[in-house]
Amino acid sequence: MTSYDSVRQRLEGGRPVVLGGPMGSELVTRGVRWRGHGMLTDADAVRALYGEYLAAGADVIRTNTFQLNRRIYLDVFRDVAHMRHIGAPGLEHRAAELTRRAVELAREARAASGRGEAAIAGVLSPLEHCFRPDLAPEAAVARAEHAELAVILAEAGADLLVLESMNTLGEARAAADAARAAGLPFWASFVLGPDGRLLGGELLAEAAAAMREAGAVAVLVNCIPPDGVGSALETLRGGPAGAFPHLGRFDPPSWKFEFFPRFCETEAWPPARLAEAGAAWHRAGAQIVGACCGSGPAHTEALARESRVASRGSREDEAATRREARDPRLATER
Amino acid sequence: MNYGPIKARLDRGELVILDGAIGTEILRRDVTWADHQVLSRPTVIRAIHEDYIRAGADVVSTNTFQLTRRALFNHFRDETHRRQIGAPDLDDRADRLLRAAVELAIEARDAAADGRAVAIAGAITTLEWCFRPDLAPTPEQARAEYRETIATLAEAGCDLVLIETVNSVGEARAAVEAANHVGIPCWVGFVPDERGELFSGETMAQAEAALAPFDPDVLLVNCAPPEDCRAGLGELGEARRGPIGIYPHIGRFDPPEWLFTDEYPPNRYRREAVDWIELGARVLGGCCGTTPEHIAALAELRAPS
Repeated sequence: MTSYDSVRQRLEGGRPVVLGGPMGSELVTRGVRWRGHGMLTDADAVRALYGEYLAAGADVIRTNTFQLNRRIYLDVFRDVAHMRHIGAPGLEHRAAELTRRAVELAREARAASGRGEAAIAGVLSPLEHCFRPDLAPEAAVARAEHAELAVILAEAGADLLVLESMNTLGEARAAADAARAAGLPFWASFVLGPDGRLLGGELLAEAAAAMREAGAVAVLVNCIPPDGVGSALETLRGGPAGAFPHLGRFDPPSWKFEFFPRFCETEAWPPARLAEAGAAWHRAGAQIVGACCGSGPAHTEALARESRVASRGSREDEAATRREARDPRLATER
Repeated sequence: MNYGPIKARLDRGELVILDGAIGTEILRRDVTWADHQVLSRPTVIRAIHEDYIRAGADVVSTNTFQLTRRALFNHFRDETHRRQIGAPDLDDRADRLLRAAVELAIEARDAAADGRAVAIAGAITTLEWCFRPDLAPTPEQARAEYRETIATLAEAGCDLVLIETVNSVGEARAAVEAANHVGIPCWVGFVPDERGELFSGETMAQAEAALAPFDPDVLLVNCAPPEDCRAGLGELGEARRGPIGIYPHIGRFDPPEWLFTDEYPPNRYRREAVDWIELGARVLGGCCGTTPEHIAALAELRAPS
């Protein structure tokens, strides 16, 4: 049994799945200087944070690979020749190395956590800035670059892939192709604009249908404010769905080129408030619930507690409860 | 009034010492580069300016590289998206940081110049990424944005603007026109490739010809390895009669930070500079990777007064 099987069973049994919180914004909050996604300089902090999400009750943790790809290095040079000429040695392979390391650290954290049944989701995200659909590369290029990352994530031991903060349907399709080719189950999650459409302008309903047809096990929305989740969930009915909104407001750096995971005003969403919202999302049909940038392990814990309540509710309602009784974690709870 | 003595020295063909890196110096002092830190860590920034002034810099540049509204807004799809999820103070954050940055340079001068004439150069660069001429906005757009930034720098007390790491003639002209419109002296630094040409493929001679009508005081080369800057300086020297200058980077760009190497310690940097003076350079300084020690080494080349 792979670690994804327990997640698959939860999804098929109509039970909630708790998604671990963000890596980048929480590492920055903890004072990690944001370079190499913290993995060359602060590996212990990265591993510890994975562990805290597992301890908080996450069924799935997400790898520290958001907006990590060869382009974040290449984009700040004139071209490859310039990168070789003035860049640090090894930059061409940096993204691949860090991607592998992100999965390794997650596996180490899981091994140490006693949560062997929890799954590690390899994160694929837009190749260019997640909030700039206008920069998305053309389909063939996107497919090749996502394929490279998907293979690394799969080989390093990810149990599933999450296409996260996808801002155009075109790039989501490319990443879905790459995920399928890598042989891993995948979920697709979109970032929406204020109008409820994808940031790139496509209708969420169309994008969700396209992703389900492409083989996505679940469709989600993320990196939107919590108040946009309810209406998105309405649109996502018809298959496994979920949400992991961000908390607070995006606070970009005054000098930095790629996505920088910093959010302000997060205190507006203490864990208890998020758990209340999570309960509403469960009632609205979300099976997978978590929070993205601006949240931390306390938020994951509050959502996990809330989802156990939701899970009990569904047990009372549904006949499929016998299978759940064999879940050792739930048995311990009783 | 602070720039007058510097300009007089240029007119006499004497050496003028520019400061060294500020961004990478922030890293070397263990502070993140993600922000300019002019409001969050003002003492660190002020101390760097002071160290360069004490090392002998005649011109110190503000910590404002690529600090623009555009750079902040580029992190969002558009205005509606920014208002939906962005931090509430983004509309005027660049303006506030620009003013704070100039203020720190002025404070450093007050504290460290010790009666010496030190000019403050407001540092600006290309509106999009400095190594990517393909991203440059249209000249009209560029002119409008440069006017806004340069007006703020001038108002806040800069003596000149240093338009640096420029990758195309078109954007250089837009910036120089804006400086003329605001009425502040300007220097322009181009990033050269290995052949000494601009990243746009244009030549230093084309740059000099296009900018001549707007009369920038100094044209320089910067933000490339010493050998590339030397090539660019040679091209510039052949094309231009007016003052030229050079401030290469040393070490390696390791995005999002800098890799410091020991390839060009201050003594070697000074030896290279002797060659730059031979080629006609009258403004000498340092870009990424250089330190106050490098600037002190350059200052030793100045004729004793």
